[in-house]
Amino acid sequence: MTATRATAGDNLRHDNGSWRLMLLVSVPALVAACLTIDGLLRLLPADMWWRALVAADFTDPRQLLYRHAFLPRVAISLLAGAALGLAGTILQQVLRNPLAEPTTVGTNAGASVALTIATLYAPWMLESGREWIAIAGGAATTLAVFGLARGRSFSPIAIIIAGLVISLTCSSASALLMAANREYSAELFIWQSGSLVQNGNATVLKLAPWLLLSAGAAFLLSRQLRLLDLSDESAASLGASPISTRLSGLGIAVALSGIVVAAVGVIGFLALAAPALVKLAGARTLRQRMIWASLAGAVLLWFTDRLVQILPFASEIPAGTATAFLGAPLLFLLLPRMRITPDRDRAMSPVARRRNGWAWLVPGLVVTAVAVWAALAMGRGSGGWHWAAWGELVELLPLRAPRVAVALSAGAMLAVAGTMMQRMTGNPMAAPEVLGISGGAALGVLLLFVSLSTFNRPALLAAGLMGAVVSLLLISPTGNRNALAPDRLLLAGVAVATMASAFSAVVLAGGDPRLDTLIAWLSGSTYTATVNDAFTAALTAILLLAIVPLTARWLEILPLGEAASLCLGLGLTRVRLVLLALISVPTAVATLVIGPLSFVGLMAPHMARMLGFQRARPQLFASAILGGLILLCADWAGRMLIFPWQIPAGLLAALVGGPYFLVLLWKRRQ
Amino acid sequence: MVISLGIEPIAVADTKGYRDWAVAPELPAGCLDLGSRGEPNLELLLELKPDLITGAYGFGLDEAPFKRIAPLHMVPFYDGTQAPYRQAEAETLKLGERLGREAEARHLIAQTAATIEDARARLTGQAAALAVVSMFDDRHVRVYGGGSLLQDVLDRMGIVNAWTGPTDSWGFATMGVEELVAIGEAQVVSLEPIPLHVKIRIEQSSLWANLPCVKAGKVTAIPPVWPFGGLAAAARFAGFLAALA
Repeated sequence: MTATRATAGDNLRHDNGSWRLMLLVSVPALVAACLTIDGLLRLLPADMWWRALVAADFTDPRQLLYRHAFLPRVAISLLAGAALGLAGTILQQVLRNPLAEPTTVGTNAGASVALTIATLYAPWMLESGREWIAIAGGAATTLAVFGLARGRSFSPIAIIIAGLVISLTCSSASALLMAANREYSAELFIWQSGSLVQNGNATVLKLAPWLLLSAGAAFLLSRQLRLLDLSDESAASLGASPISTRLSGLGIAVALSGIVVAAVGVIGFLALAAPALVKLAGARTLRQRMIWASLAGAVLLWFTDRLVQILPFASEIPAGTATAFLGAPLLFLLLPRMRITPDRDRAMSPVARRRNGWAWLVPGLVVTAVAVWAALAMGRGSGGWHWAAWGELVELLPLRAPRVAVALSAGAMLAVAGTMMQRMTGNPMAAPEVLGISGGAALGVLLLFVSLSTFNRPALLAAGLMGAVVSLLLISPTGNRNALAPDRLLLAGVAVATMASAFSAVVLAGGDPRLDTLIAWLSGSTYTATVNDAFTAALTAILLLAIVPLTARWLEILPLGEAASLCLGLGLTRVRLVLLALISVPTAVATLVIGPLSFVGLMAPHMARMLGFQRARPQLFASAILGGLILLCADWAGRMLIFPWQIPAGLLAALVGGPYFLVLLWKRRQ
Repeated sequence: MVISLGIEPIAVADTKGYRDWAVAPELPAGCLDLGSRGEPNLELLLELKPDLITGAYGFGLDEAPFKRIAPLHMVPFYDGTQAPYRQAEAETLKLGERLGREAEARHLIAQTAATIEDARARLTGQAAALAVVSMFDDRHVRVYGGGSLLQDVLDRMGIVNAWTGPTDSWGFATMGVEELVAIGEAQVVSLEPIPLHVKIRIEQSSLWANLPCVKAGKVTAIPPVWPFGGLAAAARFAGFLAALA
């Protein structure tokens, strides 16, 4: 009763805002409806619509298309959109985090990798429907994320970090499987890009009951979910169990997103954007947000899917990609108006062992030197393993040295950039990839790739650098309006990164025969490293390591928060601009030489801290060494493990580093 | 192309992929695998000390490292300068010169033209339009059209391509299966191999089952032909088309 009255009161109070909600839903709905009717009229005269629906004559191709392609497609866009909007709202409520969506909690990655494995190695399993495989995979990864976050009472940040790491590990695994089975993976490329093209009623009929059940459960649970707005202690004192509420909420969200992923693939951005838009338009209470976000999700996906069909391209752009393209700029526009309450739940809590560090750097450098030597001299040939003798080494050096140098310097640069970002934003999720610089560089390269039929290395480098600079320019003013507020910066970065990955998905789905090279770059291969690359990367790394120690004082103070930083006399805008430049340049260079897969930038700083390097300067150097070592070892192993085939260093680093990172998180949990 | 000119390569990238998707001309048994096509293993290449490295142009591979190992001969396909079949002929001649096999090259060109002509002769009277597709998933097909090698072969055989829509610079378009309604009850030739997971899903699709061409039983699979290949692939394709008649 109380809850109902509160909702009604809320409605009254925010009545002046509801026209914005109506606008948000009705404008895209109207346009989509016009486009749909237009499409229908082209297909079938209006007087036949009803007859073809109830008693279709399939000898008429128009009626066939109408019944088995057109209508299912409209239905699926509405259903999937609503499901994603709802799933996003629940996740954001449960995790108290505006960045939460099925991708962040690892559901999509788990579903994706499960389907990839089933498709490539056990296609007979698909006969009974791919839904179960996808849901099982999504549930498994999401459960793993829960397990990791449980010891910390499902702290939002812990869940997001665990989800991010598991996602990266899973998507590296699928990328690797797909690279090894290139010609058999076309379906997976298309599926990953989220196409809504339907070939019958089956998918809609499967999806609808699932959605109804989950939505019903979600609304039944909405009262408990509301209590999560309070702190966990207050909720517990009201007799609610925050943990069981969270688990059931997440369970519903996982079911919703899992079934959507199984049905149409990964629809980017919608689960993030719909709830955010609805909140901005003035929906306050959870129930309001759930209803409006479902509506908004449905019409936005419908609208997007109609839009991609009237775009004049030879190959259709999948709706899942288009949502990311339309949504990301929207997020840029809305960012300055978005109210974000940063959750500063310290994932950066002190560790028992503290090392001041300098003494440990010497053995670190020795290990690095040995590793470099091994990576240069030890290898496989047609005759098996052997250490290269001097004469042979001279021959091999031009092939191996640039790759070793590139891997080492890129790893070190990304690690340093990651350390700086995490300290600057006070956000343990921060990594160069999240800032969007890698994403921007990737976009530049991809655009060059599709606009020219031939391309060479200098053009590639230039395009990448352009992309990095443009994304930097895009991001800076977004944050600037609020003194480069860390969380806005991250959100802007996420928008760029989403666009880049969406765009690469659509290029990959296009089936261009030059894809091998592109896939290699996207997955962090050092194969194309030239002597020039090696020098550029090494020089940038050395310069960075020389300059960065000078910023140590800032990096000590910034994690204490804005107020403390101001008290201690830091000019925040100036400091952040300098740090931003120090982060972006090496990130851009590293991305150009090793691709946008920069897991190292997230991982190395955490590893350094977990090893006890707490203070800024030792942490910077320790993570530089660790980052360099990770990529170096990954590159060497990638060249040798399945000789003469090669595994990209970035992929291998994520594949091996991800689980290792999770083990560290797990241990620390106790 | 090298094999078509009577020379056995000591190593080729992605031998398994070649045997699955291109099939002919057959690779010699002792031919080593060089790793993926995107990243041929340079260290192995260095160890093998080949006399000549040949590669296709336009796949984005950097030439410099290969040139350091051995003389390099690049074959530009699909660079938009010429129709693919014409270009394949010109490049075969060039490669023949490079390998000292001009006679073989001219023979290959003449033989391919003859094979296609022969295939055309076997078709007389039956000039029905057909579409050529690759099936990679259950909702999309890749259809080959203007600007592809397969289109050139169709033209030479006097067969009308039932698909007349736009294509990309490599001569194909990826599209939803329902667009195949546009070709009506025309013959559809699908290139093997069709992965098992795609076959399963296609069989479950009510749309596919109700397509005019499927209902009329006009879908036929032919053995693998590499659609981005050279003259050998063209001749192979013509042979399979003639066998359908």
